[in-house]
Amino acid sequence: MTTQTASPLKLDTEGLSLDSVSLWQITRRRLFRRKSSLLGMIILAILIVIALTAQWIAPYDPILSMLDANPPQDIGKRSSPCIHALGCAVDQPQHIMGTDGNIRDEFSRMVYGARLSLLIGISTVTFAIIIGTVLGALGGYFGGWIDNIIMRVMDVLLAFPSLLLAIAIVTVIGPGLINALIAIGIVSIPAYARVVRGSVLSIREMDFVSASRALGGNTYDILFRRILPNALTPLIVQGTLGIASAILDAAALSFLGLGAQPPTPEWGSMLGAERNQVFTAPHLVFYPGLAIMLTVLAFNLLGDGLRDALDPRLAHMS
Amino acid sequence: MKKNISVLLSLIVLASLMLAACGTPATEAPVATEAPATEAPATEAPATEAPAAYEGMMVEAPDCEYGGQFKSIEAVDELTVKMTLCVPDPAFPSKIAFTSFAIQPSEYLESTGGNGDLLEKPIGTGPYMIESWERGNQLVLTKNPNYWGENIGAETLVFRWGTESAQRLLELQSGTVDGIDNVGPDDFATVEGDSNLALFNRPALNVMYIAFNNNPQVEGFDNTTNPLANEMVRQAIAMGIDRNRIVDNFYPAGSEVASHFTPCSIPNGCVGDEWYAFDAAAAKALLTEAGYPDGFETVLNYRDVVRGYLPDPNVVAQDIQAQLKENLNITLNIEVMESGAFLAASDAGQLQGLHLLGWGADYPDQTNFLGYHFGDGASKQFGDHWPDITEALAQGAQLADDADREPFYTTANNAIRTHVPMIPVAHGGSALAFKASVEGAFASPLGNEEFSVMSNGTDTFVWMQNAEPISLYCADETDGESLRACEQITQSLLSYETGGTAVEPALAESYEVNDDLTEWVFKLRPGVVFHDGSTLDANDVVTSLSVQWDAGNPLHTGNTGAFSYWSGLFGTFLNAPPE
Repeated sequence: MTTQTASPLKLDTEGLSLDSVSLWQITRRRLFRRKSSLLGMIILAILIVIALTAQWIAPYDPILSMLDANPPQDIGKRSSPCIHALGCAVDQPQHIMGTDGNIRDEFSRMVYGARLSLLIGISTVTFAIIIGTVLGALGGYFGGWIDNIIMRVMDVLLAFPSLLLAIAIVTVIGPGLINALIAIGIVSIPAYARVVRGSVLSIREMDFVSASRALGGNTYDILFRRILPNALTPLIVQGTLGIASAILDAAALSFLGLGAQPPTPEWGSMLGAERNQVFTAPHLVFYPGLAIMLTVLAFNLLGDGLRDALDPRLAHMS
Repeated sequence: MKKNISVLLSLIVLASLMLAACGTPATEAPVATEAPATEAPATEAPATEAPAAYEGMMVEAPDCEYGGQFKSIEAVDELTVKMTLCVPDPAFPSKIAFTSFAIQPSEYLESTGGNGDLLEKPIGTGPYMIESWERGNQLVLTKNPNYWGENIGAETLVFRWGTESAQRLLELQSGTVDGIDNVGPDDFATVEGDSNLALFNRPALNVMYIAFNNNPQVEGFDNTTNPLANEMVRQAIAMGIDRNRIVDNFYPAGSEVASHFTPCSIPNGCVGDEWYAFDAAAAKALLTEAGYPDGFETVLNYRDVVRGYLPDPNVVAQDIQAQLKENLNITLNIEVMESGAFLAASDAGQLQGLHLLGWGADYPDQTNFLGYHFGDGASKQFGDHWPDITEALAQGAQLADDADREPFYTTANNAIRTHVPMIPVAHGGSALAFKASVEGAFASPLGNEEFSVMSNGTDTFVWMQNAEPISLYCADETDGESLRACEQITQSLLSYETGGTAVEPALAESYEVNDDLTEWVFKLRPGVVFHDGSTLDANDVVTSLSVQWDAGNPLHTGNTGAFSYWSGLFGTFLNAPPE
């Protein structure tokens, strides 16, 4: 008589089964189990929906002065929020976040600002990841003088505070949204280059890479099809956190007048334009400030959650 | 021995050269002569008893063909200065009273070479003198113990600055400063409602305008013709901007739409046709006729500095941007510049497209508004000058009677309306705020508040303005922040009454003028001592003014070398370099 005993389930530290599921499935489960990362994802999802549907959500053109509206509205600059459902007189035009200094609908500008902020964050980080990954991979894989040159340049860039360097770059190439994006992208590159280089350095010594090499794989295949896919995990975490800092940097540049130029509805520039009204029209600095804070918080929560969820030390512990 | 002889010869040659150099007049240009104004007495007196003859300086133009207003400046005796003009100038006392024509010791001017220390440590005769200037932080002045006038102010006067009106108000509310300039338009009610504060409205003796650079080729247009060189384009823009909308929505109470460049409270300010009324359809038709049916793209420059004439620069700029896009499909790219760089570029005619600027009265006369901006000596701010404007202004400026001047200023105003070098937008109301406990507080219509007549009952009085002075050699500055600081330190021959515009004696206790208003003789106040202990005399006056007038003078350097007030008010420089 033989007794068959079920093999014990392999569980991770959070009690999730590691059998028959991919790393991504585990990651997703862990993400959803963490309340903080779930909150980050919910905020982000709302922001993405707002950004994608801005033209339907916003009641007015974000750069349209209410003096040019059809028909023109009899409303002053920096008027307080007026919501009819909350008792605002119906004969007054409804502006749920009030109007700004140029008598534009603040809510419409906030909504379009979400689109711009997400675009800024994602595009700058994408740019930085692409360049940083290529540089880091080349340096890590080839080593020697190539690595030395690339990483010393990265060290020089890292030696400056990122925002200060971005300001310097924008000062040279001129203010404007695109130039600000380029500047933020450039100052973000070193972080990704270092992360990728570190991963490549460890992975290139692994057996499967040696096997590929022994089988006659060419450098391109080994580097970009064998090593890099296995080095993506820290890059994803870094990228998610990087979006938050990119949004913050872009808002700072716009606040200083170096980023988005008027009348573009960008949260940082909206905050900067009304900074003198902090006592007389506080809603005009509160809403853009809150939006920046929530967006950055959402990406940071998600980034933290991803870091924990993708941590291999947690994934393989049973 | 041979060696000794050659050394001796070398020394003799060197000594000769040094003597020759020392004997060279300060102004070497042949057209300017400098000579003792008073000859030695004809009758000889015992050398021991006779006072040393005063070596009065004189700077003179060979003739009046050079284009400026001055013919000569002469130290007749120790306390008498005579200025001879090429043309009559009834506004001369008002002009010479201005801060830019303050007097400093001639020795000090020479020792600084016309810049250097002079820019940060002026030596004047005013109620306060420099103690320290921490760039970016504060300017500290201390009471002048030898001041010839009355100073009831604090022992120490501190100038601070903050670009944000909210910051300035917060500092005043918290008691860290005693007075602030340019209360934010939305904060008037807050100040009025606070019993610890007092609001002082400043009369709208200013103008905000949208300037055009009419030069056909302006750097930045990629070798294409500047559309703003076309008069019809400028007229179209003049008609395409609703100025009532700007003033009604973005200016505080007390402001008014400008019907002319000069405020109407200034004699002959509003003679001639009123400015174009807003008519978007006519503007569009005119722009189409000018060859720009689809509009064009250009820039709108300004400095983010609050002034009485422009209380909310960003908002006004964006409204102009929106209006031109909506009405004429002209795309304006907004470019905000640093204040000093903006003014320098504007003066040099280097700004492309449109720019926002304004002017506050220095003295209440058309020569300070139209003459300074559109006269012969005006800067290149609007590009080339228009002869029909400059000629009318030159003739009007020579007449004393307002009625006699009227036809010339009517012609000038109408020509300005035709050529549209700029669009006058508003005469802006503004206000200062002080602690209610400050005695003697006031708002000057000319923006030249004197702190020697104010007292807060303590040893230190702190004033907070919009921006840091650019330099304290105000002969070569035009911004109000620099001028106000200079006014506490240096003084001119005449001055403006406290809180008003009437001219009164200052360093000159009196003056006389001939019938045709060309010879002005000033009698200096005796015993006036500069901050460095030297005594004021006529040569100080000659030197202080001639370094501005004579472009060939080695001291004609200043901060930028523009000396805009001199050329704006008195025309071309003597020995001006060819353009």
